[in-house]
Amino acid sequence: MRNCFAIALVLSAPVLAQPGIPRLPNGKPNFTGVWAGPAFTHNVGPGDTDTPRVTNFDRAKMAPFRPGAEVKFRQAPTGDVRHDDPTAVCLPDGHPREVLAPYATQFTQTPDTVVILYEYMHFFRVIPIDKPHPPDVDLTYMGDAIAKWDEDTLVIDTIGLREWPLSASNGWHSDALHTIERLKYTDATTVSYNITIDDPKIFTKPWSQEFQMKLHPTWKLLEQVCEENNRCEAGKCSPR
Amino acid sequence: MRIAALVPALLVAAAAAASAHHSYTAEFDLDKPVKLTGTLTRLEWTNPHIWLYLDVKDETGKVTNWGFSASPPGMLTRRGITRNSLKMGEVLTISGHRAKDGSNNASGNVVTFADGRDALIGQEQAVNPTEPGVKK
Repeated sequence: MRNCFAIALVLSAPVLAQPGIPRLPNGKPNFTGVWAGPAFTHNVGPGDTDTPRVTNFDRAKMAPFRPGAEVKFRQAPTGDVRHDDPTAVCLPDGHPREVLAPYATQFTQTPDTVVILYEYMHFFRVIPIDKPHPPDVDLTYMGDAIAKWDEDTLVIDTIGLREWPLSASNGWHSDALHTIERLKYTDATTVSYNITIDDPKIFTKPWSQEFQMKLHPTWKLLEQVCEENNRCEAGKCSPR
Repeated sequence: MRIAALVPALLVAAAAAASAHHSYTAEFDLDKPVKLTGTLTRLEWTNPHIWLYLDVKDETGKVTNWGFSASPPGMLTRRGITRNSLKMGEVLTISGHRAKDGSNNASGNVVTFADGRDALIGQEQAVNPTEPGVKK
């Protein structure tokens, strides 16, 4: 009987907050800071260096294609660089490809909003916490994102994404793409970043991939102006 | 092992490495690897890629100025390479692939300094491919 009481106590106890991680005054984990995101090999140590690396989703983690959808995913080149290689002419990479860009990312957080600043192409996401998506969302490159807390995990839900390359090399997602990102500290400077790709026009079921983010207190976002010196745009180098 | 020692074989193996900004194969010809030694005459520390220019002398003594497109400043800075790492007048050897338009421009993937040090300044995937054959 005593054992049963002890078990009941354990089961009814509130989940202990994760110790030793940055928190806002309201107790929620605080992701504020500059991060080396998924597109870095994480070897933080002396010198505070990570190695940026162009990153794609792992094909082995993807769900099977819906019948006929592989053609939509692997869109054939059209000869128009704006379609075939849009970032080569400085068009946006969009979400979620931006997450996999090998550039720094800055988070700024308040109790009701998370702002994510991406160094690459100067994109940003302003994400309200505990608010619904608007009823009629325009399709955009970065989509419409909202967030909520699942205990100490920040869950970001994004819809409203226009058909666009999923990453640098993976293929195309549809305009039905819905992503769910789950961010959780694993120690004071490391965050587990899990993204679920839910694209019912392309895949038979949602699939997920786990990445890591490392906090870099010595970093700051750098300027990245794509149009500045794009000398060999579309394979034709301009004179010097 | 020096990075440069890996380059000739692995660059060919990197069938279509993607870059941060554009498709590598859209701008550079994987069938035309180049490895040129010359004097650094100009450095454009700019986005979306830095450009290095070398005066390269051929066997007849003719000097041609070549441009090499490498990683953007942010990526290089976070690999420990700053604009001060590259000195005007310094003799460098740069490996990459020639521009598809046939001009005297190329990608710059690995630089070898006069003292033998190597540094990755371009495509890591071109040197250490993880997705060979991936078509962007």
